[in-house]
Amino acid sequence: MELKEILEHHIVDHVWAWGALGPLKFPFSKHLLMMGLSAVILLVILPLVIRSRSSALAPFRAMIEIITLFLRDEVVLPNLGRKGAAYLGYFSTLFFFILTMNLLGMVPFGATATGNLAVTAGLALTTFALVNFAGMREQGVFSYLAHIVPKGVPLWLYPLLFPIEIIGLVTKTFALSIRLFANMIAGHIVILAFISFIFIFGSFGAAIGFGVAPISVALVLFILLLELFVAFLQAYVFTFLTAIFTGAAMHPH
Amino acid sequence: MEALIKPEFGLTFWTILCFVLLVVVLSKTAWKPLLKAVEDRENALKRDREAAESARAEAEKIKGELEAKFTEIKAELAHRLDSAKAEGEKEKERIIEEAARSAARILETARIEIDAQKNEAVRELREKVVGLTLAASEKLLEAHLDPKINARLIAEALAELEKNDKSLNLSGN
Repeated sequence: MELKEILEHHIVDHVWAWGALGPLKFPFSKHLLMMGLSAVILLVILPLVIRSRSSALAPFRAMIEIITLFLRDEVVLPNLGRKGAAYLGYFSTLFFFILTMNLLGMVPFGATATGNLAVTAGLALTTFALVNFAGMREQGVFSYLAHIVPKGVPLWLYPLLFPIEIIGLVTKTFALSIRLFANMIAGHIVILAFISFIFIFGSFGAAIGFGVAPISVALVLFILLLELFVAFLQAYVFTFLTAIFTGAAMHPH
Repeated sequence: MEALIKPEFGLTFWTILCFVLLVVVLSKTAWKPLLKAVEDRENALKRDREAAESARAEAEKIKGELEAKFTEIKAELAHRLDSAKAEGEKEKERIIEEAARSAARILETARIEIDAQKNEAVRELREKVVGLTLAASEKLLEAHLDPKINARLIAEALAELEKNDKSLNLSGN
């Protein structure tokens, strides 16, 4: 097998069937399954843990609560202001959704849905929609459009700056999707490369392969732990950046 | 490998749909009860803290009152002690004065007595002196009687007697 095939097998989505609606084609794939799985997990686990009064679930309840309160006090409210509390549901869901999809990618036979550019693009598009929606809701449509260009800019620069700011909005969204996608697949690719080392060296001789194996496995273990950290970090970064962009759209000054 | 970076936009649609539904459902089923529980707890904490603060203020007030009362009692005590001391001082003065007066009276009585005794003694002495003087005068008078005269008188008397009675040889011749 070539490395390319292995990579494609492990990282690229597997489409099992296509649903067609007119000219539009909707895939039913492994990443969609994983996304649905994480959605089901969240839909079942979160209400169950939050509403239960059992002491066995108390640590998990406290964990969810700590994360949610952290998002409220450190991410949403400082960026969005007092009115941001209404958006807390969006940010909490975003964080836990991305986190669950990231973690499912580390489960055996699982796949990383967030390691698919289409999925991250979808998430980034919802952020784009939220940013513009929140800005227009806060300032009014025309005021929002007028304030896209920063205050204090000479009038003659407006024709130049307005398109640049619009492009900036799109770029931010694009960067969001690329950042999450790249971070999630990078670890997988490195792990596959380290595993492949064993067989590359093994082709020189079985003894060399066995010699390299422990080093490779140790490195893979290290990268796995790093991926676990990155899974949390990238969920946080995506949420945090969404909050910053939304806050900037709501409060232009 | 181009499959890796070629997004399947059908999946994007699924993602948006899935995520939006998730936001709507979880906001109702998860985040609302969670935030409500948190807010209830925060309110309970706030209430408890306020209650504790008011209890503390109450305690402070009572402590202040007690302190004021204590100061008052202390002042009262000092006042009473002072008045008792002053009274004692006055009593002492009175007793001393009385004692002095009494001593003076006794002294006076003694002086009078002594005077009386002295006068008596003087009178007695005078009487004695008079007696003694008289006795002495008598003796003195006796001493002043001249023996020659006495003897001549005696001799004359004797001679007269001898003249009258010659039987008597009183002259010795």
